[in-house]
Amino acid sequence: MKQEFLLGNGAIALGLLEAGCQIMTSYPGTPSSEILPEVVRFSKAANLNTSIEWSINEKVAFDNAFAAAISGKRAACCMKMVGLNVAADSFMSAAYIGNIGGLVIISCDDPGPHSSQTEQDSRLMARIGKVPVLDPSSPEEAREMIKFAFDLSEEFQVPVMVRPAIRICHARQNIEYDVLENNLTKADFKREPTRWASTPKFRFLQHKALNEKHVKISEKFNTLTPFNMHNLEKKKSYPFGVVTGGVPSSVIQDMFEEYGRKDIPVLKLGAPYPFPEKLSSEFMDACDKVLVIEETDTLIEYLLRDKHKTLGRLSGHVPMEGELVPEKIEGIMNKALLDCGLPALSDFDCGLEAFNLVGGLELPIRKPTLCSGCPHRASFYSIRKALPKAIFPSDIGCYTLGSNLGVVDTVLDMGAGITMASGFWNAYIQDGVKKPIVATMGDSTFFHSGTTGLINAVYNNSRFILVILDNHITAMTGMQPAITQGDRVDGSKGNAIALETIVKGCGVNYIKVLDPFDTKNMIQTVKDAAQYVNDPDGGIAVIISRHPCVIGFKDEAIPEKIKVTITDKCDECGFCHTRFECPAMYQDKENQKTEINKVLCAECGVCLQICPRDAIERV
Amino acid sequence: MKTINYVLTGLGGQGILFMTKVLATTALNKGYNILGAETHGMAQRGGSVVSHLRIGDARSSLIRAGAADFLLSMDESEAYRYLPYLKKGGKLFANASSQTFPDERIALYLKKNEIESRAMEAAKKAMELGSPRSTNLAMVAFYAAFGYGPLTADDLRATVDDMSPGPFKEKNLRIFDVCYETGRQMV
Repeated sequence: MKQEFLLGNGAIALGLLEAGCQIMTSYPGTPSSEILPEVVRFSKAANLNTSIEWSINEKVAFDNAFAAAISGKRAACCMKMVGLNVAADSFMSAAYIGNIGGLVIISCDDPGPHSSQTEQDSRLMARIGKVPVLDPSSPEEAREMIKFAFDLSEEFQVPVMVRPAIRICHARQNIEYDVLENNLTKADFKREPTRWASTPKFRFLQHKALNEKHVKISEKFNTLTPFNMHNLEKKKSYPFGVVTGGVPSSVIQDMFEEYGRKDIPVLKLGAPYPFPEKLSSEFMDACDKVLVIEETDTLIEYLLRDKHKTLGRLSGHVPMEGELVPEKIEGIMNKALLDCGLPALSDFDCGLEAFNLVGGLELPIRKPTLCSGCPHRASFYSIRKALPKAIFPSDIGCYTLGSNLGVVDTVLDMGAGITMASGFWNAYIQDGVKKPIVATMGDSTFFHSGTTGLINAVYNNSRFILVILDNHITAMTGMQPAITQGDRVDGSKGNAIALETIVKGCGVNYIKVLDPFDTKNMIQTVKDAAQYVNDPDGGIAVIISRHPCVIGFKDEAIPEKIKVTITDKCDECGFCHTRFECPAMYQDKENQKTEINKVLCAECGVCLQICPRDAIERV
Repeated sequence: MKTINYVLTGLGGQGILFMTKVLATTALNKGYNILGAETHGMAQRGGSVVSHLRIGDARSSLIRAGAADFLLSMDESEAYRYLPYLKKGGKLFANASSQTFPDERIALYLKKNEIESRAMEAAKKAMELGSPRSTNLAMVAFYAAFGYGPLTADDLRATVDDMSPGPFKEKNLRIFDVCYETGRQMV
C-alpha cells in the first residue's frame, strides 16, 4: 500500500487506472487539466501500456474514446464543462448508439466561475444527452465513482458521465492505493451497421431502448448506497429535510455534525440521473419541507417535481449564480430553517462584518495579468500601437488578459477570435465601411477550433488581420505541450505541425512570421498587413507572432538577460505599469517614483522599447 | 480529534502550495487524515493565492468563513483579505513588520474576536539568509515557534529536512532555525 496527498484529479486518474481504463483522451481546461498527466504518472510508475493522448479538441477526444469503447475496450475522455460543448454533437448521439467496453466521460464543472466563461452544469448536459451522471462529494468518492461508472457503462451499454466540480478536482486528500495492473482486453470491433451507423428509423428504436435502460438504471440508483442514500428513521416524519449531492453534500454533512443537528435528515444524491424516483419519494413523503442544495444549476430541484414542498433556487432560497461556498450554505440553511419555523444552525452572520471591515481597507485589487516577460504583452503593445482604432476579437487562453492592455474586445468561445472577425467584417462592409479588425488567437486554440473559421473567412472573402500568438504551449491550463512543439503527454516525441503550412492550406496567401520582442518590426508588419487587407487584390493577412512562453521555456524565452534601470527622464506617466502592465514595474508608495521589482523582473528588455519618455535604460 | 483548519495565503510565486505541502506532509506522517483546497488556472494568475488545509476527519475541502484556527499569510494585504476566515480565538501569522502590523483599523475586530496576531518580516529574513524564495519556510518556522496546533516544531523541521533537495537543505534548515528563534523570543 502506498499513500499520497493526492490532488482530486490524481484520485480520478487513479480510479481510471484501477478500473482498467485502456484508452484515455483529453483536451486541457481548468479544472480538468491535471487528470491526464496524473494518468501518465501512475501508468508509467506501474509500467502499464495505457494509451494516453492530448487530443486536438474535446470532440476529437470524445470520438477517439468512443471508437475504442465500441471496439470492446474501456475508454475515457475528460474535459472541462465548456469542452463538453465542443464534444456535444457526438455526446448527444452516444447514448442512443451505446457502447461495448465501458465509456466514461469526465466533465469538470467550475462554479464561481474561477477560470471559465460560464457556470454551466454538466449534469444538465447529461440530462439532454440521456447519459447517466455521477456527482462526487470528495476525491476519494470520485475515484470510487469512476470504477462504478465503468461497470454501469458495460452493464447497460451506455456511456456514463462523472461530473466533478472544481472543489473535487483541486481538492487534495490523503489516498491509499495498491499495485495497478494492465487490462488485457483486445480490440474486437464487430461490424453491425444497423447499430453503429444507424439510420433515423433505427435511431428511433435505439431511443426507445435507451429509455428502457433508464428505467432500470433509475431502479438501481434507488439503492445505490453510499452514493445515493438518506438517513430517515423508519415511520418517522420530519418538518424539514435537505436534498443535496456532490460538493455541497460534504459541506452539509460537516455542518450538521459540527452543530449537532441530527434532527434534520439528508438525502444525498451522488447519482442524480436517471432520477432515483423511489428513494426520493420516500424522502419527500417523510418531510413537510425540503431544501435542495445542489451545484450549479437545478437538476434535482426540477426532478423532485413538488414546488409546494421544495425550497431551493426556484423559491429564491439558493442563489442562481456563484459557487456554494460553506459560509453561503450556512446562511441559506439558517434562512430556510427560520422560514420553516425551526431553530437556525447558528446566528453566524456568514462573515459579513469581517468582509465589510476588510472591504473598507481598500486592499490592492489583484486582477489577473500576463507574466513579466510574457511575449503576448509585446505582441499586444505592437498591435495597439499600429492600429489603435481597430476592433480586436480575441479568444480563450492567457492572452485573454490582453483585455488589460486594451487589445481584447471580445471573448466568446474557442475559435471565435477568427469567426467573430469575419462577422464584424460582414457587419461593417454591408454599410460600405472597411473596418480594421485584428484578431488574436493562441497556437493551441488555433489548432483546437481556428481552421474551420479561417477557411470560411477566406472562402467568403472577409478581410482582417489574424495574429496567431505562437508560444509553443497551452499555458493558461498549466503548460501542456502543443502541436506546434510536438511533444506528447507522456514526454515522447509526436509530430510537430508548423502553423505556416496549415494557414497556407486554409487559403491564406499573406503570412508573416516574426518575433514579438522586436516591437518596431512588429508594429511595421501589422501596418503592412493592414495595407494588404485593404488592397482590392489583397485578402486575409496572418501574422505568426512566435516566441516561447516565458514560464514553459525559461531559457529559450529569454536568451539574453537584459538588466534595466529607470533614469531621471521618467516623468511618472505610469505607462509601463498601468498600460503596458509589466508586473515588475510599480510606483513606490513612499517616494512616488517608478521602480523595478528585481525578483519579478524577467529581464526580457522589452520595456526598453516601449517607454514613451525613453526613460528606461540598459544597465 | 476536532478538525484543525489552516488558511494559507499570499501572492502567486511565493510558494503557498509548497508551504501547504510541508504542513500536510507533517500531518500525514503523524497519521492524521488531511484535506486541502488549492487555486489553479486563471484564478492563479490573479496574484492572490489561497490554500485551505484541514487536519482531521472533515469531508469538505473548503474552510467556512469564521472557522479557521490559523491564518498564515505571506503578504500583509492578503492577511487582511482572508481575515474573515479566522474563527473567534483564531491565530494570525503574517509576513509583516511587527511594528506596523496589524493595521489599527482592524485592531478592534481582532480584540473583540480574541484573535492573537503575530508578525515577522519573513521575506526580509529569508533575503538576509540568502534565500528570498524560502519566505514560505520562514513563515512555517515562525508559526511553529508558538507551539499551537497538532504539529510541533520538531515535526515540521523534520519535514523540511526530508523535503529539501540536497543543495538547499542546509540553507532551508538554517532559515527554519533562525525564524523559529525569532518566534520563540516573542512567546
